[in-house]
Amino acid sequence: MELTVDHFLGLSAALFIIGLMGVLMRRNVLIIFLCVELMVAAVSISFAAFARETNTLDGQSFALFAIAVAAAEAAVGLALILALSRRVHSVDIDDFRTLHD
Amino acid sequence: MPWEVIIFYLIAATSIAAAAGMVIARNPVHSAVFLVICFIQVAAVFVMLGAEFLAVIQIIVYTGAILVLLLFVLMLVDPDDLPEFHLGRPIQRAVGAILGLILLLEVAVAVVTRTITGRQGSATLENIELVGGNTQALGRVIYTNYLLAFEVVSLVLTIGILGAIVLALPERLGLPGYVRKDTISLAHPRGTDRALPAGTAAPSGAAAAGLAVSQPAGIGRRLVFARDPDEQPVTGGGRKQ
Repeated sequence: MELTVDHFLGLSAALFIIGLMGVLMRRNVLIIFLCVELMVAAVSISFAAFARETNTLDGQSFALFAIAVAAAEAAVGLALILALSRRVHSVDIDDFRTLHD
Repeated sequence: MPWEVIIFYLIAATSIAAAAGMVIARNPVHSAVFLVICFIQVAAVFVMLGAEFLAVIQIIVYTGAILVLLLFVLMLVDPDDLPEFHLGRPIQRAVGAILGLILLLEVAVAVVTRTITGRQGSATLENIELVGGNTQALGRVIYTNYLLAFEVVSLVLTIGILGAIVLALPERLGLPGYVRKDTISLAHPRGTDRALPAGTAAPSGAAAAGLAVSQPAGIGRRLVFARDPDEQPVTGGGRKQ
């Protein structure tokens, strides 16, 4: 059996689906954030796999930018969660309803 | 079966198991540690794909900075605020599981019957070695083709850090009628500011020492904070510094 790009794509799909199920099933907003980070990492694997297949480096540079943007998103998102959880005194995603109410 | 395939299946199994453990774990710190394990496997996958720079950046930035930041934020959450995992919402979990399985089938079909391939470029492994390695080749591509994206990403990072500081900052000091409700140390359930005995001379003594004493917070602990980092907060009742 030869190691093809499809192997890496399958791994990326599996990690993405696990992250997606985590986002849908968990109620702790910090765990949901962790699962979103897992989804971004899975997509980075996909980009790097395609870059290897087509012998280019565009996929790798996109994955690099994705990591950088995920870092900025992590900082802002966690600051938002901290600020919001101080008011609501909870990290349950079902309690974050201030936009709705 | 060549070694590469065996090692790939080992890394893949570990990363999938760690990701599943992250989703299932009840303690959020366990989830974060599982995700650290998963990200290290992802870095190994990057090395297998010939993206060594990406692998190192994944470990340093993603695992070593972002997840550590998340662990710190997890530590600041009061354990009483964590939602009960096993109580209620079975419909939500069932719907999530069903949707995930459907999407998994769709993506598996798409991966197996893939016909679209990209245009072949020139960055084969030999050419990358000629240029001087993956980092040099990636640098050539980023600084010529994706220079605008690079600059914009640096701007995004700067604005993100400024935004995070502004958002996480407690409300401004010095506004009239302002009562500071909590600090980082008090967000932790054990806290580091001990409760002052009621009715002591602390306010006048602290005012004489130039410190600011706020109203008692709703949680019953008096906040005393120093304007000068070298000043020790004045307490009543003989608390040892």
